[in-house]
Amino acid sequence: MTTSPVSADAVTDVRDPLPRLEALFDEGTVKPMSPRDDSGVLSVRGEIDGAPVIAYCSDARLMGGAMGTDGCQHIVGAIDSAIRERIPVIGVWHSGGARLAEGVVALDAVGQVFAAMVRASGRVPQISVVLGPAAGGAAYGPALTDIVVMSDTGRIFVTGPEVVRSVTGEQVDMERLGGPEPHGRRSGVVHVTTKDDASALAKARELASLLGHHGRFSPADVPDSPELGTILPEQVNRAYDVKPVVKALLDAPGVELHAKWAPNIVTTLGKFAGRTVGVIANNPLRLGGCLDASSAEKAARFVRMCDSLGVPLIVLVDVPGYLPGVGQEWDGVVRRGAKLLHAFSEAVVPRVTLVTRKAYGGAYIAMNSRSLGATAVFAWPNSEVAVMGASAAVNILHRKKLAAAKPEDREALRAQLIEEQIQTAGGVGRALEIGVVDEVIEPVITRRRIAEALAAAPSARGAHGNIPL
Amino acid sequence: MSGEIRSEMSANVWKVVTLPGAKVAEGDTLVILESMKMEIPVLAEADGTVAEVAVHEGDVVQEGDLIAVMV
Repeated sequence: MTTSPVSADAVTDVRDPLPRLEALFDEGTVKPMSPRDDSGVLSVRGEIDGAPVIAYCSDARLMGGAMGTDGCQHIVGAIDSAIRERIPVIGVWHSGGARLAEGVVALDAVGQVFAAMVRASGRVPQISVVLGPAAGGAAYGPALTDIVVMSDTGRIFVTGPEVVRSVTGEQVDMERLGGPEPHGRRSGVVHVTTKDDASALAKARELASLLGHHGRFSPADVPDSPELGTILPEQVNRAYDVKPVVKALLDAPGVELHAKWAPNIVTTLGKFAGRTVGVIANNPLRLGGCLDASSAEKAARFVRMCDSLGVPLIVLVDVPGYLPGVGQEWDGVVRRGAKLLHAFSEAVVPRVTLVTRKAYGGAYIAMNSRSLGATAVFAWPNSEVAVMGASAAVNILHRKKLAAAKPEDREALRAQLIEEQIQTAGGVGRALEIGVVDEVIEPVITRRRIAEALAAAPSARGAHGNIPL
Repeated sequence: MSGEIRSEMSANVWKVVTLPGAKVAEGDTLVILESMKMEIPVLAEADGTVAEVAVHEGDVVQEGDLIAVMV
């Protein structure tokens, strides 16, 4: 097992695990944990931005990186070391799954890898980088970790194109079956897609750094944010992209997870006031910013990941409600939407909400409302917290009165009723009165007030794993 | 990049802002829908040319209905 089966002229092979792992770490810091053997896996330790990290990588030069007993033991050893040392662990994947020749022994070994990943879940950050096909057992490996990064050549599937063809008759290639497009946009299996291997490994470095050393809040160093208030359109029904708002909020551009899947909600990891935070934001550009089954599930998983890893949350709310429709109900918007209620309610990390424009109905509750235990709830001037928008409420509450009015008076009456509705039930006044909004703040001091609120809250970390919801 | 662009939700077609033959870039607005009291832009998913616009202003579209075809 100690003799290297790799010939000297294969050193430049892109599938060689050592250069792949070296690209992850600070130069010259990589030390082997497992021997350079024919197990199909290499595990190492090293430093990323000066902090210790453990990583393992498939050796795709051997049987397509297939996983056998010894290779799986290297992975389990790497993960258990990371748990003991409380440091991040990164898996680099290029593997066709369990070694067929080893039979059920290999299946047992792959199962032990899964069990190790679940032991580590919520205790240390686990990041996967998929650079080639990751099939069968090698598909569920990445899927059990916190974050999956896929390069342009990465593929993830349970059964490959040939099996699909022979069983279902569907003609499909590996890319369409399990490449960056289906998994980045449709399935939600992959969190980050990149244009090549080098940028996939660079993203994993960035994520390991964000999750591996959080830093400390220093609210005193937070400058005013004059640009924050200028991004939202004047008209309340106008769509806009929330991503520039997230960018302006963070110290530097963060890493957006699941950017193309369920794009009506944005989930980004980044630094805020010097500390790693998770940002969750409704995106009015997509589906009007409505919550739906997929976006609630996406946000719920993100909230639970951040909570289990001790990452505080900032929640930007501009939501007209839950998306109506037969498709949504049959898609389980009730069951999947409940995940977000559960995730926020159980979260113990500091979590601050900012209502930028509107928060209506059930979606108001779901977006880290006071009732679910928000650390602080801020709102911008002119924002609205209500069961529904004032004009929609007037149309329902005063339907008879409006119908009875003379046609020429109707619009004036409607405007007057809307104004009354805003006074009594709309706007943010009532929410302030009953304490579900703590404070109305100007956009310019938003960063500082959020930083103060997060820094003042006792730091805590949820005692649970991060099941891939 | 060819592809059919379909509505992601039930909505009214408020404005059609593109024409067959128009060259568009990824992220350009093709049609603006109205639903949930919100204007909801329908965007090009890739650079390309608009081959067909399948809706008119005032139409009601359901989730999955064809809005435009890009080539």
